[in-house]
Amino acid sequence: MIRIGNASGFYGDRLSAMREQLEGGDLDVLTGDYLAELTMLILGRDRMKDSQLGYAKTFLRQMEDCLALALDKGVKIVVNAGGLNPEGLARKLDQGGLGAKIGYVTGDDLKARFPEALTANAYLGAWEIAECLDQGAQVVITGRVTDASLVVGPSAAHFGWAKNDWDRLAGATVAGHVLECGAQATGGNYSFFTEIDVTKPGFPIAEIDEGGSCLVTKHDGTGGAVTTDTVTAQLLYEIGAPEYLGPDVTTHFDTIRLEQDDRGVRITGTKGSPPPDTLKVCLNTLGGFRNSTTFVLTGLDVEAKAELVKRQLEQAIGKDGLTWTLARTDQKNANTEEQASALLHVTVKTTDPKRAKGFSRAAIELALASYPGFHVTTPPSDGTPFGVYKAAYVHRDEVSAKAVLL
Amino acid sequence: MKRPLGTIAGARSGDKGGDANLGVWVRTEQAYEWLRSFLTTERLKELLPEAGEVSRYELPNLKALNFVLHGLLGDGVAGSTRFDPQAKALGEWLRSREVEIPEELL
Repeated sequence: MIRIGNASGFYGDRLSAMREQLEGGDLDVLTGDYLAELTMLILGRDRMKDSQLGYAKTFLRQMEDCLALALDKGVKIVVNAGGLNPEGLARKLDQGGLGAKIGYVTGDDLKARFPEALTANAYLGAWEIAECLDQGAQVVITGRVTDASLVVGPSAAHFGWAKNDWDRLAGATVAGHVLECGAQATGGNYSFFTEIDVTKPGFPIAEIDEGGSCLVTKHDGTGGAVTTDTVTAQLLYEIGAPEYLGPDVTTHFDTIRLEQDDRGVRITGTKGSPPPDTLKVCLNTLGGFRNSTTFVLTGLDVEAKAELVKRQLEQAIGKDGLTWTLARTDQKNANTEEQASALLHVTVKTTDPKRAKGFSRAAIELALASYPGFHVTTPPSDGTPFGVYKAAYVHRDEVSAKAVLL
Repeated sequence: MKRPLGTIAGARSGDKGGDANLGVWVRTEQAYEWLRSFLTTERLKELLPEAGEVSRYELPNLKALNFVLHGLLGDGVAGSTRFDPQAKALGEWLRSREVEIPEELL
């Protein structure tokens, strides 16, 4: 059995989770997911400002606090915090010393193939992580790998699985999918939250066996709960068809069996089959500039007030790229001013930064010349650039993933 | 009896690029038999009129249905002008819709 914990579900997740997981009980491996589609865009902008950046900076802070503890307890750290610059993060961590053996995974960056994109990264799999661990790495830093690979890699290395052990790989993928969003497996963001205490849910752990089945659990004394319902909720997060495609295996979600156990939830029965020939690529391009504001419409004549301000703003800057939404949050004859108010949201999207900025000026110029009770929730800013996400697919032969030990 | 769907069903939703996914599950086999026949793609569109093209998948082992709402989020999280651009609360919206639930399931 291998005991794998998770300490992060996104870039910005509970900073202390790493320490909580290390101090709360025994683990073999501690993983952390820091990357979402949006995060790649944020890191892409970081990298534009400073080519040394492009990784999740919070991971370095966690390592300053916890690396000695992890080494002392013999817990290996496997994270995708490298983002767009896994080598940079690995070298930065290495400078911090402590003599930890650090490995990183590279090869996901396909910017050369998609030059028009701000970021272009293939979703790599588990085998380079496994290779780093086989070579003795105590910390493994990756860029864009599938979230589940952070769990599949250590499992495959530990048990010496073969690349065609489809059912085993699929079982570990399910464990990885349950873990990848941290507290969302232990009662966080859970529909039936009133039935359990989710004030501070603990982070999840999977005890994976040689056949790929697992027990999802958490450290004793931590909050939240691991039940078939909390695990089902997370299994349903961000999936499509029951054939869940990954770089190492296709996992059949309609074969998963859940069973409540004293210590958590047992997951068995998962079937796998060969993965597709293509790898998914996460592409972020700069789409232009956006700006928005929200007009508050209070009391009588809400529709007419909305019409007036819409007509005024469109006359000032033109209709192009404007999106309007009127939320009728107002109640008749209300006892509070807030409950008497509706919200009119307007967003501009444009390729012209001057238009995004001019939007603010035009909206504010209406302040004494529009509907009665004119005010906005927050004044518009100068506008911000926005990204457009797109998935692409490339043949797996076009991507050469590599494991490197420092 | 008309009750919010969430009286008996849990849900979790999220984003995949410009698509949203919405998983709905119930807690007994009997409730799943009802959910499977009740919550068709057409019914989902009635309950969530903002939905366009929808794919529906059955996961009887989890007593769950998964829906993919294509194109709901436009250009994805960063580019979407939609309220809730990551579709995080789409599931809770669905749970709040009142539907005819057989009394024996309540």
